[in-house]
Amino acid sequence: MSLAIPNGLDNTVERPGERAPLVLGDTTYHDITEAVCQVAERPPGRGWIFGFLVAFALLNWLGICIAYLIYTGVGVWGNQAPVFWGWPIVNFVFWVGIGHAGTLISAILFLFRQEWRTSINRAAEAMTIFAVACAGTFPGIHVGRAWLAFWLAPYPSLNLWMWPQFRSPLLWDVFAVSTYGTVSLLFWYMGMVPDLATFRDRSKNKWRRMAYGILALGWTGSSRHWMRYEKAYALLAALAAPLVLSVHTIVSFDFAVSQVPGWHTTIFPPYFVAGAIFSGFAMVLTLMVPARTMLGLEKLITIRHLENMCKIILATGSIVGLAYGTEFFIAWYGQVPEEQFAFLNRALGPYWWAYLTMVSCNVLSPQLFWFRKFRTTPWLIVLVCIFVNIGMWFERFVIVVTSLSRDYLPSAWSYFHPTWVDWSMLIGSFGLFFTLFLLFCKLMPVINMAETKSTLAKQLHMKHNDEH
Amino acid sequence: MSDDKNEKKVHGIVAEYTSVDTLLDACRRVRDAGYTKTDAYTPFAVHGIDKALGIKPTVLPWIVLGGGLAGLATALAMQIWMNGINYPYIISGKPYISLPAFMPVAFELTVLFASFGAFFGMWALNGLPRFSNPIFTDPRFDRVTDDRFFLYIDAKDKSFNQAGAEKLLRDTETEYINTVVDDDTSTVIPKFLITTLITVIALSFIPLLVVARMRVTTSSQPRFHIFPDMDFSPARDAQQTTSLFADNRAMRPDVPGTVARGELEEDLDYLTGIDMESLTRLDADRAKQLVRTYAQAENGEPENSDATPKTDAPAEEKSVMDTTPWLKNNPVEITKDVVLKGQEQFNIYCATCHGRDGRGNGLVNQRAQQIMASSWIPPSSMHQESLYAEQYPDGKLFNTISNGIRKMPGYAGQIKSKDRWSIVAYVRALQQSQNASLDDVPKDQQAELKAKKADVEKALAEQAEAERKKEEERAAKAAEKE
Amino acid sequence: MSNHAPAIKPADDPAFTLPATLSALSIPLCAGGLLALVGGWALGSFGVDVQFGMSAYLTAFIYCLTIALGAMFFVLIQHISRAGWSIVVRRVAELMMVMVVPMAVLFLPIVVTLWTGEGTIYKWDDPGYAEHHHIPAEVWANKTIYLESKFFAARAVIYFAIWIALAVYFFRGSVTQDETGEKKITERMQKWSAPALIILALSMSFAMFDWVMTLAPMWFSTMFGVYMFSGGILAAHCAVAAGTYLLQKNGAMRDEVTVEHYHDLGKYIFGFVFFWIYIGFSQYLLIWYGNIPEETIWYWHRQLGVWGALSLVLVFLHWILPFIGTMSRHVRRQPTLMFGWSVYILILHFIDVYWCVMPEVYEGSGGTLAAVGGGIGIVASILCAVGMAALMIGLILRIAGQTRVAASRDPRFGESLAFENI
Repeated sequence: MSLAIPNGLDNTVERPGERAPLVLGDTTYHDITEAVCQVAERPPGRGWIFGFLVAFALLNWLGICIAYLIYTGVGVWGNQAPVFWGWPIVNFVFWVGIGHAGTLISAILFLFRQEWRTSINRAAEAMTIFAVACAGTFPGIHVGRAWLAFWLAPYPSLNLWMWPQFRSPLLWDVFAVSTYGTVSLLFWYMGMVPDLATFRDRSKNKWRRMAYGILALGWTGSSRHWMRYEKAYALLAALAAPLVLSVHTIVSFDFAVSQVPGWHTTIFPPYFVAGAIFSGFAMVLTLMVPARTMLGLEKLITIRHLENMCKIILATGSIVGLAYGTEFFIAWYGQVPEEQFAFLNRALGPYWWAYLTMVSCNVLSPQLFWFRKFRTTPWLIVLVCIFVNIGMWFERFVIVVTSLSRDYLPSAWSYFHPTWVDWSMLIGSFGLFFTLFLLFCKLMPVINMAETKSTLAKQLHMKHNDEH
Repeated sequence: MSDDKNEKKVHGIVAEYTSVDTLLDACRRVRDAGYTKTDAYTPFAVHGIDKALGIKPTVLPWIVLGGGLAGLATALAMQIWMNGINYPYIISGKPYISLPAFMPVAFELTVLFASFGAFFGMWALNGLPRFSNPIFTDPRFDRVTDDRFFLYIDAKDKSFNQAGAEKLLRDTETEYINTVVDDDTSTVIPKFLITTLITVIALSFIPLLVVARMRVTTSSQPRFHIFPDMDFSPARDAQQTTSLFADNRAMRPDVPGTVARGELEEDLDYLTGIDMESLTRLDADRAKQLVRTYAQAENGEPENSDATPKTDAPAEEKSVMDTTPWLKNNPVEITKDVVLKGQEQFNIYCATCHGRDGRGNGLVNQRAQQIMASSWIPPSSMHQESLYAEQYPDGKLFNTISNGIRKMPGYAGQIKSKDRWSIVAYVRALQQSQNASLDDVPKDQQAELKAKKADVEKALAEQAEAERKKEEERAAKAAEKE
Repeated sequence: MSNHAPAIKPADDPAFTLPATLSALSIPLCAGGLLALVGGWALGSFGVDVQFGMSAYLTAFIYCLTIALGAMFFVLIQHISRAGWSIVVRRVAELMMVMVVPMAVLFLPIVVTLWTGEGTIYKWDDPGYAEHHHIPAEVWANKTIYLESKFFAARAVIYFAIWIALAVYFFRGSVTQDETGEKKITERMQKWSAPALIILALSMSFAMFDWVMTLAPMWFSTMFGVYMFSGGILAAHCAVAAGTYLLQKNGAMRDEVTVEHYHDLGKYIFGFVFFWIYIGFSQYLLIWYGNIPEETIWYWHRQLGVWGALSLVLVFLHWILPFIGTMSRHVRRQPTLMFGWSVYILILHFIDVYWCVMPEVYEGSGGTLAAVGGGIGIVASILCAVGMAALMIGLILRIAGQTRVAASRDPRFGESLAFENI
C-alpha cells in the first residue's frame, strides 16, 4: 500500500549493470516543469494555510520570549551555576547539526556523482539555511546583551580599542557559522537561478514576472553561461564539502578544547560531523516524506530517494554508536578518574533518562533500517526519523548538561531545571524553521528542475541506446 | 548592449529544437559551417555542447584560487596583527601568535573568499545580471526554461548572411526559425519605482546620519535607559546600608577567623607582638584565650568580638600592658625596603594625627586645636623617652598599632601585620633621626647635608627677617592710624 | 553523451591477464623482499639493539597493513555505493586487500616478543614500567587488564580472523564472477558490504589502538584509530593508482583504464590528503589546546630534534605539497604525473607511520641521532619497510598471475569503461 508507486514501478530494486530510473513514469521535460511550478502557482491549500498559521504563531511566541529575555536578562533561562550552557547551546548545536544535510546532499553527493540527489537537494539546501538561521539565533541571545552581539565581529571599534580573541573556539564558531550560512545561501541561490527563470517565464502576472525577473538576473540558458555556471557549481561544491565538515568540527572544538571531563576527547570532530549528518538527513526525511505527498511530487521524489537517505542515516547512526562506544572504552583505558566518572555519570547518574533516550533513539532506532520494509514504507521512515531527531537533541543535552553539572568542583554540582522560557524557545525555533520552510514551498522552486531534467535526459539517452 | 541606431536592427537568427540530440546535431553543423559567434540556449546544462559549439574553457578556477589565497592571507594577517601585534594579551597560556589556533578562521575565510570568487566571478564572466536582452523578444523563447532548445547565430559573425544562415538552420531538424530583432519595449524604469527607490535610500541614510551626529556632539540630557535594571544595578556600594543584615551594613566584615592571603604561615608571636612562650609561663589562661581567638576557624566556633585579647584594652589596664612579655625585637628582618614600606604606610595611616615627623602634630591635631575640640586627646609624640625601644618594646608598639590606645583606634583591620611591623621599624628610625648627629650620616652625604642645613638656616633667617619687617610695618601702620 | 561505450572484451582477453614482464618479477621480489626484511631486522637488532630492530619491523608491518586495510575499505565502499566508475581498477585494490592473509603470519614475530623479552616493543609488557614511571599501582592494575600479553594476542587473533574472512569473501566473490558473470554475486556482495564496513571500522580502530597507541602505554586519544585509517586509505588510493599505472605500462588494460579513471582517483587522493590533515590537525589542536601533560607528552616527544623535523616534513610534504600538487585538473588528467604523486605519497605514508611508532622506542630521547639508531638505524628501518613492501608486491603478483587483473565480468564493467568526469 505504501509502496504504491505511480506507474507500478519499484525503483528501489536495482539490478547490477542497470540503473533504476530516478524520474518515474513517462515523464517529459515539460511534466517536470509543470509538477514543480504548480506547487508555487496554485493558491495555497487549506493544509498549507493551517500549517503556516501554527508555525507563524510559534514564531511570534519565540519573538515575544526573546523580547522578554532581552528586557529581563538571561536569568529567565534555567542556566544556573554550574550549568551555564543550558538549553540555548543545546538548541544551537541541534540546529547547526540539522543544517548539515542540505549542503552535504548538494556538495558531497554532487562530488560523488550520486544523481539521486537532484530532486531533494533544493529543499534540503533551503532547510540548511533556515536551520542555520535558527541556530544563529541562540548564541546571539545567549551572549546576554544581545544588542551588543556585534562585538564579536573584528571591527575597528572607537569605544573598545580592542580586538576579538582569535584563540577562542567560540570566535571560530562565529566565523564558521557565518561563513557556512553565507556560502550555503550563495549555493542555494545560484542553484535556483535557472529555475527562477522558469518561474519568470511562466508568470502571467506583471508583478510576479518582475519580481522573479529580478531574482533570475536575466538568465537565458546560454550554453556559455551554463558552462561557467556548472564550473562555478562544481567549485562551490568542492569548497562547501570541507566547509560542512569544518562547521561541526569547530562546534565540537567549543567543547573539546576545554578540559571539562567528557568534553575533552579527540574523537569529537568526526563524531560531531557524523551526528550532524545523521540528524540533518533525519530532518530532511521528516519533512520531505509528507511534503512529497502533499505537493504531489511522488514521481520526482521517489521511494528510491527515501531509501538512499535511510541508508545514510543507518551508516551515520552506526558511526555515532561506534563513537559512543569508543569514548567509553578510552575513558576506561585512559584511567583518568575524572573522565571515568564523567562517562559513568552520563549513563548511570541523575541524567540516566536522557542518556537512555539518546542511545535508544540514536543507536537502536536507526538499526531498523537494516530491514527493507522500514526503508521503503514512508510512514515508518518518518517515525524512525522523528525518533532520531529527538535522540540527537538529547545527545547535545547529554553532552552539555551532564558534563557541566558534574564538573571538577563537587561543591558546585547541581541539577539542571529548564524554565518555561527554555521550553518556549525550543518550540518557537521550530516555528521559525517551519514558517520559513512553508514560505519557501510557496514562493520558490522546491525541486531543482534544471538538474532533474538533466537526469531525465541521461535516462532518455540510456533508454535510447538500449533500444538500438 | 542594445543598439539604438536602428529601430529594428537584426541581432541574429534563432531556431528551436525539441531534443538534446537534434540540438547537438545542429550545433555541429553550424560549427562546421564556420560560424563562431553562436550560442545554444537550453533548459538545463547539456554535456558535450561546449565541444559541439567549440566553447573554450573558463578562467573561473583561477579566480576561485585567487579568492582563496586572498582569504587565507587576509585571515592570517588579521589574526596575527590583531591578537599578536596591535592588542596582545595572554589567554590560557597560549602565545600571542598561536598558529594552530588561527587555522580554523584561516580556513573559513579561505573558503568564504573562494566562494565569493566562484559566485560573483561566474556572474561577472557571464555578464549577468542583464535584464534587457534582444533574445527575449522572441515569442517562443519563454519555453527555453521549460522544455525547448534554441540555437542562435549572431549577426556580428564574420560569415553571417541572413539567407545563408536561415538555410543552414532549415536543414536541421527544426520547425521554427525566427530573426531576433531589437527589443523595442521601453527601457525606462517606471517613475514610481524610481521614486520609491530614492525615497527608501534617502530614508535609510537618516539613522546613519543621526548616529554620525551623535558621535560628534555632546548632550546635556541624561542618557536614555532602555534596560533600567541593567543600568541601575541593585548591588550595594561599600558604605551603603541594607536591610538584608541585622547590622544594616552592606559591606560585610570578614568572617571570624579569616586569614588574609600569605598570613596563614605566621606564628602567634608575629601576629600579636607577644612572646607567647613567656606568656604561657606567666599567664596561661590569657595565652589560651589568645590562641583560641586566632584559631577560631579551626575550632569551627566563631567567638564574639568581645573575646578579643585583653591587650586591646584601653590605657587604664596598665598593669596588663606592663606585665605582658612583649617581643623585644622586630621579627621582620630590617632592610631598607622594609623601612621604606614602613614610611609609606606611616605617612598614609599615622601621619594624619602624629605628623610626618612623628611629633604628634598632624593635620587632624592641628584642626582639633583650631576648633578647640573638648574631648580631643592629643596624639603622642614619638620622640619621648617613654616610647623608646628600651621602655616601649617593639612588640608593645606593634600591639598599639594593631589594637589602638586611648582614643586611637586599632589598625589591624586595615594594615597587614607585615606592614605594621614595617611601621614599627620606621618609627624606630624616625626616633633615631631626631637624636642623630652628623656622624650617623654616611660620609659622602655629610657635605650635602651641611649645605642643605645652611640653606635651610639661611631661608629660616630670611623668613624671620621678613616676618620681623612685616611686624614692624604693621606696627608702624597702626601707629600712623592712631 | 553521444559517444558510445567501448565494447567489453571477453574475460580471457590478454588485456585482463597479468603481463609476463610483471609475473616474472614475482619470485625475485618475494625472495629479495624477504631477504631485505630479515636483513633490515638483523641490522637493527644487532647493529643497534633488539628493541630497535623489532620496532623497525613493526613500522614496516603497520605500513603495509594500513595500505591493505585501506584497500579493503576502498573495495567495500565501491560495493556499498554501487559504484560504477571504479570497476576497472577494483581488482587491483582487491589484490592488495588479500594481503591481510600473509600479514597475519608476519604478525607472529611481534606477538612472540611479548613472551621472549619483556618490553621489547611494548613497554607495558615490562613489569618494572609502572614503578619506573611512578604510575600509581591502582591505575596500573586497571591498565594491565587490557594491556596483557594473552589478551593482546587474543584480540589480534580476532582482528585477523575478521579481516581474513572479509578479504577472502569479497575476493573470492569477485574472482568467481570472472568465471560465471553472475549478477547475484554482485548483489550479495553489496548486501554484505554494509555490515562488513562497520566491523572493519571497529576492528581497525581497535587494532591501531592496540598496536600503535599502546606503544606509549599511558597516552590515549579517541581519534587515533581514525588518524591511522585516514593515512591508510590515502595510501591505498595511491597504491591503486600506481598499481594500475604499472599494469598499463606493461600492457594490461590499455583500453579499459582511461585518463578519466586517473582523474577520479586523483580527486580522491586530493580529498584524502585533506582528510588526513583534517584528522591529524584536529587531534593535534585538541591536545595542544587542552594542555594536559599526560596527553601533550606524545606530541612533545615529536617536537624535539629529528622527530620535530619529521613533524614539519609531514606538515609540508605530506599535506601542503601534494595538496597543491594534485589540486589542478590538468595534473590529475596526466597518468604519469598521478603515478608520480602516488609513489610520492606512498613514501610519505611510511614517514607518517615511522613518526608514529619510532619515537616510542627510546622515549624521552629528545630526538637525537641516537634515537633513530644512527645511520645504521635509518638503513635498517628503510630496509625493513622496503623488504616487506617488496614481499607484498611479489605475493600480489603471484596471486594476480593466477587470477585476472580486472573484474571484467562485473555487470557494471561497461559503465566503468564509459565513465567520464563532469
